[in-house]
Amino acid sequence: MRPPSSLRQEFLKKWMMGLQRYSTSKKNMSILERKKAIKLSADVAIASARNGTTCWSRALIANGYSKDGGDDKHLVEQILGPESERLIMKKVLTGGASVCNKRMRSKKILKRSCGIQRTRKFAPQVALASSIAKRLVRKRTQILRSLIPGGEFMNDVTLIEETLDYIISLRAQVDVMRSLASASELASEP
Amino acid sequence: MSSRRSSGQSTAGVSRISDEQIIELVSKLRQLLPEIRDRRSDKVSASKVLQETCNYIRSLHREVDDLSERLSQLLATIDADSAEAAIIRSLIM
Repeated sequence: MRPPSSLRQEFLKKWMMGLQRYSTSKKNMSILERKKAIKLSADVAIASARNGTTCWSRALIANGYSKDGGDDKHLVEQILGPESERLIMKKVLTGGASVCNKRMRSKKILKRSCGIQRTRKFAPQVALASSIAKRLVRKRTQILRSLIPGGEFMNDVTLIEETLDYIISLRAQVDVMRSLASASELASEP
Repeated sequence: MSSRRSSGQSTAGVSRISDEQIIELVSKLRQLLPEIRDRRSDKVSASKVLQETCNYIRSLHREVDDLSERLSQLLATIDADSAEAAIIRSLIM
């Protein structure tokens, strides 16, 4: 499923806006610093394309806020504009975490209570096969949770929904960056 | 969005997640993953889908990192508002 061109254009526009924040210090940056700046503005740009509607995008923006060098012009403010930045930071700080924490807590209680009953009911062979499968699923869900930004706050259904959106956005990000890299290589050829 | 709201029917503080929702989401995930999509089988286990998803996301992260590295070397001299940037932008669109 190719990401829609609207998403890619949105990302490119916001990414360019974010990169301008570094234009003054660009001459003195080391390659590593520049790489971090490019990557950070790309992440905040792709997250802002979702306008705070998904958990992963809010987590990425919060991350970008904290990782930024932090002088007068904030990267996040550059990309989102001052009004929307305030709105999204409110969502990040208040809404997202508390709702998701409640879900996680109730899910944990449910899991704990189910786990006690599960081992008593089934015959040994069935229990072994299904428990191995369940353990694998649980382990891999944990890994997935660590890969999606803000994943620690999501329940299982939200995690998969967020994964779907995150993969499409990542693809858009990679597409645009790849095109820019090949175009730059073409342009810089003597 | 609607599925998220319906899964939040938490009355006693325990969220009811239906199996159909999970199956539907997992099938959508399968369609996104490059390897599993080509295999014509309905019986792909959840753990395999999860594993492929994690691998795919990790490879995408790696690609973003490599591309940032390449770009940081290439864009060294290009200013964001210069004519060259405009040319590149028009090439991509």
